[in-house]
Order: sequence, then C-alpha cells, then structure tokens
Amino acid sequence: MWRGRQEPPVAGWIGWVFSHDARIGFELLARITRAPILKLLVRRVVQAVPVVWLVSFITFALMNLLPGGSSGTALQLLGENATPSAIKALNIKLHLNEPFFTRYVHWIGGLFSGHLGNSVATGQSVAGILAERLPVTLELGLVSLVLSVVFSLLSAVVAAHQRGRIVDRANIAVSMLGLSVPNFVFALILVFVFAVKLHWLPSSGFTSISAGLGQNIRGMILPSLSIAFGLTCGYNRVLRADLVDQLVGADYVMLARSKGISERRILFGHALRNAAFGFLTLVGLNLGTIIGGVVLIEEIFSLPGIGQELVQSITYHDTLVVESVVVILAVTVIAANFMTDMVYSLLDPRIRYDRSE
Amino acid sequence: MTAQSELPLSAETPVLSTDDERERSAYRRQEIFFWAPIVALGLIALICFLGPLVLPILAPIGGSISNANLAVFAPGHLLGTDPAGNDNLAKVLYGGRVSLEVGFATVGIGLLVGGGFGALAGFRSGWTDLVISRLFDALLSFPALVLAIVIATYLGPSELHVIYAISFFSIPAVGRLARANTLRIRSATFFAASRIAGANEWTILRRHVAPNILPNLLTFSFLSVSVSIIAEAALSFLGLGVPPPNPSWGNMLALGEQYLDLRPVLLFIPAVAIFLTILSLNLAGDALRARWAE
Repeated sequence: MWRGRQEPPVAGWIGWVFSHDARIGFELLARITRAPILKLLVRRVVQAVPVVWLVSFITFALMNLLPGGSSGTALQLLGENATPSAIKALNIKLHLNEPFFTRYVHWIGGLFSGHLGNSVATGQSVAGILAERLPVTLELGLVSLVLSVVFSLLSAVVAAHQRGRIVDRANIAVSMLGLSVPNFVFALILVFVFAVKLHWLPSSGFTSISAGLGQNIRGMILPSLSIAFGLTCGYNRVLRADLVDQLVGADYVMLARSKGISERRILFGHALRNAAFGFLTLVGLNLGTIIGGVVLIEEIFSLPGIGQELVQSITYHDTLVVESVVVILAVTVIAANFMTDMVYSLLDPRIRYDRSE
Repeated sequence: MTAQSELPLSAETPVLSTDDERERSAYRRQEIFFWAPIVALGLIALICFLGPLVLPILAPIGGSISNANLAVFAPGHLLGTDPAGNDNLAKVLYGGRVSLEVGFATVGIGLLVGGGFGALAGFRSGWTDLVISRLFDALLSFPALVLAIVIATYLGPSELHVIYAISFFSIPAVGRLARANTLRIRSATFFAASRIAGANEWTILRRHVAPNILPNLLTFSFLSVSVSIIAEAALSFLGLGVPPPNPSWGNMLALGEQYLDLRPVLLFIPAVAIFLTILSLNLAGDALRARWAE
C-alpha cells in the first residue's frame, strides 16, 4: 500500500489524477481485481496459455516426428519414382532439411504474425484455404447447433411435463436409441431413405448461399440433421433429468404450486432456469467438438468444408495446412470451453471457482 | 381348539401384501434392466470370438467371385455375400472382433496409463499435478477424430496403429476423472490416518486411492468403450483402420455407401451390428453407473 511520501505506482496515479487522492485509485484497483469473475477470467487465461502452447507443440511434433510425417511429404508430391536428388532439392526448398526446433520456431512465429504459409500441394495460402472452407463448416455447425438446441428444449420440456407417462417413456427410449447410432451411420441411413429411395433431397454437393439460398438449404438439411440428431438425444437426456429433479424435489417449486401458480408457468418461469445449467455446459463444451467432428459428415456429403480439406491435406502430407488447421480447431475448442466457464459463472453466482477443478 | 390353530397365523406368517409384491416386481425389473444389457454384450463378444471357432462360419476373405452378391438367406450364406463373394455373416463376426478388441484395448490403456497419471497428479499436487493436468487439457482440446486421423494416416493402416491413435484421447479422458476422484479422497479421514501412520506413497496409492476411485473409473470406461468403437468405425470408414481385405465394421459401412442404391443390405448389416453393440454398452454403462457411482 502506498504510504504517502513515496512515488505512487500507476494505480495510485490514476486515483490522484481524478481526485487528488491516491487511495481511491488503490481501492478501485483492489475492488476490480477482487471481483470473482475477473479473478476467474485471469486464472483461466493463465491456464489456457500453456495449454495452447502444448497443443501447438504436440501437433508439430506429431506431424514432423511420426514415421510417415513431413519426411514423406517430398515423396508424396514427386511420386514413387522420384530421384533422391530431386527429393533432397524439394526438402531444401520447403525447409524440411532444417532441424526440428528451428522449423518449430519459424512456424510459431508465422502463426503469431499472421503468415500461415502456403499449401505444399496446391500453392494456395493457408489463410485463403481457411477463408474458403471455414464458412461451409461454420454454417453446418451453426445450423446443427440451433436445430439440436431447439429440438432438445422442446422434447425435454414436454417429457418433463408428462413425466412418467407414455410420452416421457417414448422420449427416453428414442434418446437412448439415438445415442447408440454414430452420426455418420445415421447420415448414411438418411441418404438411403431421403436421397436414394425417395429422391426428395440431394445426396451430396454444396451450393453457396450467394449462388442460391433454396439450393443451399436443400443441401444442408441432411448433413445438419445427421449431426443434430445425436446431439439432440444427448442434450435431451440431461435437460429432462435436471428438469424432473427440479419439478419433483425443489422447495421453491412446492411453494410456487401451493401459491397456485400454473404448472406451465412453474415449468418455464422457475424450473427451466434452474435446470438449464447442465444443459448449457454440455452445449458449450460441444461447440468445439461439433466443428472438429464434422469431418466424416463432410466426407459423406462432399461438402467443401474444413474437415474435407483436412482429410485431403493429411493424405497429401501437406503438413503446414494440417498443422495450422488442427491448431486453429484446438484453440476454438479451448475458447469454447473458456466461454462456457465464464457464462456458467455469470449465470449462477453460487458457483465460486476457488479451487481449480 | 387344537394346538395347531393356536398358532398366531395372521400376525406372524409373512403374507404377501400388495406393497410387497409391487416392491418385488420393481426389484425384479431393476435386476432385469441391470443384467439384460450385460448378458447381451457377453453374447455379442461370445459370438464374435468363439462363433467362428465352433460354428460353421466361412472365411471372411478370399471368397470366389462366382458367389458374389448373393441375397440374404441364400443357402450357405445366412446374410448373403458382398460384391467380392465374401460371406457377410463371417465379415460381421470378424469385424466385431476388431471393434471389440480396439474398444476394450484403448479403454484398458486409458485406464492403466491415464488412471495412473491422473491418480498421481491428484495425489501429489504441486508441480506434478500442474504438468500432468495441463497435458491432459491439451490432449482433450484436440478435435479427437482429427488427431486420430493424423496418427492413423502417418503410421499406416493397421489395427495396432488405430489403438495407438484412439488411446491418445482415452488416456486424458480417464486421467482427468481419476485426478478429480483422487482429490476427493484426499480429504477423507482414512487418507490422513494412513499418512500419519507413515505409509509410503505407493502403498497409499495402491491400498487406499485405487480401490476407492476404481468403481467410478470403471463405469466411465465402460461408457467410453462405445466412443472408442465408434472412433474405430470412423477411422476404418475412411480407410485408415484394418487394411481393406480384412473386414471391419467401418470398411463394411464404406462398402455399403458405395452400393447404397443397388444393395442397401451391405450398409444395414454393419449398421445394425454397431447399433446393437453400442446400445448394449450404453445401457450396461448406465446400469453400472446407477449401481456403483454416486
């Protein structure tokens, strides 16, 4: 604490400038830093930094040290009959002959300064690839997210309202069955029913929104449904269980009932708010995995998204593209988890993150 | 009055009241729900691993092109044959072996390695904890399938490489849970007591930590076997799993996708197999969780 005679540090100066009293500045600073949400924010950021670094290092190490990794790039590009001297020349051109750590530092520096480099196979810049591919994946992810949240909210609320009755039981059974079908298998079945048998929807292909909104929506229905179905079943199970817990056990629900408040109002006004935390956490934690998990769906429906690009780049040993994309996806996951944490603690003031979980 | 009739029949003999009956039938139903998925899972494993040895099942590879594309219930081929003339039933059973092996192997590795490191992190705290949990965080923030695809591609398609690839995310998942559970045990009285008694680290880990965190870990692992099986199917679907002439559910699905309009049964056979396995794993995991974990 500043004792008067000494030079006041920055916080003190701020208080002094505004009110000629350095103590106000200190008090302000102390209050801000003591706010639990900020403490949480700072701690989470501090935790996230080494995780992001580790992610980048693990990615780079995997791509470069695994037997078929970047050492196979030149061979893959030049074909089976490449002469050793040609391979050597290409390796020098791509800086693949330099030591591992030099390349790592170079790559990390590029990531920070925004120069992501160029694809080895096509010569396209990684930033350009991302700009072209990411919108498709984001559209798919966003549509599936919205669909799954809407469907699961509806079904869970109805099931909780009708708890123990036939609708609820059917809902539980369908969720359990739905959770047991992997999304790419569900996608294949959807293609069989709606594209091959009924000819209602296209089985593959993508039209950008600017080229035709109707076509775009038609192409997006099956892929987004196949992702949303599994998610809906998972969300629905969690939300329904929490809702029933609140409706059956909570004191405030009993009080509301004894006051004569309608069941519908109790459900939407009281129980849903209190039961939503598990649901919101799950949705938040899934944000990143949706984006990363669409690889197979994009393959099946041949959507030109980030997942398809990844699989292509991996097969071409296009290490630079894979590294950058994987790191970006991982950072998205970290950011999504971070946001979930923040929103969670903002919504529920009872939650105090005093110990690291 | 005879001696017999003096027995206080109405009060002492257990007469089944309706409440009792209801309780019993509820209990029976609970037991059925607990055991049915476990028995189903056992049956699936038994058929896949023992079936080809005792039943007259054909070889899953090297079929002749003359029996290609036989329909379901064709004589000698219960589920028909694929376009290369291989028996679909044999393929499903041998594919199931791969799926179950990969599923249980990855989770076993996760349980051993992840459980060990997680328990150590929770037990030691300090730097050990910091390093291990940040490593787990990093591994868990990779989009799981993408990482597995990278590893499986670069190592080349084989069952062992698939196991390595999938273990990369079963280890941190189990590890994080092991750490959280160990942290909870640290506050128990028996933990403090054994420390005061001077037990060394290894003894405490083995005698006190392991038995207490194991029920939770096993339940979780059981549920994550299904995740591993799905991941294996996804990798083989992309052609990164067991090398193609050998059957796996994933490459059967890929074949089914190719012949979707002509022979949809090629898709439905592996799809149903995956569905039944995952369903019984999920139900068994749920039942175990209800019984063991709090």
